[in-house]
Amino acid sequence: MMTIVIFLALLNGCCISFCRILNGRLSQDTSAFTASLWNHTVGFIFLSLLVYFTTSVPVETVTDAPLTAWLGGVIGALFVALNSYVLSKVGATLTALLVIGGQLVTGVIWEAISHGANLTQLAGVLFILAGVMVAKCGKLPGTQLLKKATR
Amino acid sequence: MKTHPLNLSLALAGGITLASMIAVNSQLASYSSPLLASWIAHGIGAVTSLIVLIAVSALAGRKMPVLPKTGTPFWAYLGGIPGAATVVLAAITVNSPLGLSGSLALIMAGQVLFGLSCDALGLFGLTKRSLTLKDGVTLLLMTAGCLLTLFGRG
Repeated sequence: MMTIVIFLALLNGCCISFCRILNGRLSQDTSAFTASLWNHTVGFIFLSLLVYFTTSVPVETVTDAPLTAWLGGVIGALFVALNSYVLSKVGATLTALLVIGGQLVTGVIWEAISHGANLTQLAGVLFILAGVMVAKCGKLPGTQLLKKATR
Repeated sequence: MKTHPLNLSLALAGGITLASMIAVNSQLASYSSPLLASWIAHGIGAVTSLIVLIAVSALAGRKMPVLPKTGTPFWAYLGGIPGAATVVLAAITVNSPLGLSGSLALIMAGQVLFGLSCDALGLFGLTKRSLTLKDGVTLLLMTAGCLLTLFGRG
């Protein structure tokens, strides 16, 4: 059971990456928001089938949700557009790392504001930012020296 | 390869929108189910993208391309399917012994490994990028940072 669940979680990560790569490819020929439109339309049709064949979906209670809860899709449109725009420019690996990093840093800052700071998590944020700095620099300090030494 | 700082910032901004999107969609899911919330979010996302495209077309005075161009492979239009499958898979693993943190860590690993393979082989129209020392250092620092923030909750 545990092995299957671990496999499913890893597969989920592959799906996210695959989704981003396909949208990135589409935006190269069109635009970031065109990729976002197709992503959401195709996903909506796919999920419509799932919703249709899943009998136990509660439909009535959803109308009680506050207006702000409905805005996830608006943020989602921007999210997919940003991903698609960046992907072909920085590559699939770095895009994944930066999006995950941005997501976690936001979470830690949010938690620090609402519940107080956690030192381990703040250390994690520093590591993520250090990673971004390395990615930002054209080359690592010391790489040239290393190359000279090995030559 | 030199990466433009603006693109790095935009990707980080993508992470901020993702965190907010998850928070908002979870709220909607608490009134229904993860599947239904995602279905609604996809519908609203499609309408929003369409509105942005129409607005940009009107402002820029040129038509934004929506329909397939010749030369664009058909699979490039199917990103929504793995994207939507994510919701179903997450609903299974988060409610398993893995929990939220365990699921997130494995989801990250899956993303990075899939990204690394596609970048290294230049699959799906990506520019072929072989792993450099700099990439390795970035990967190590960010993985360490992600694990610390994920499992460091007091």
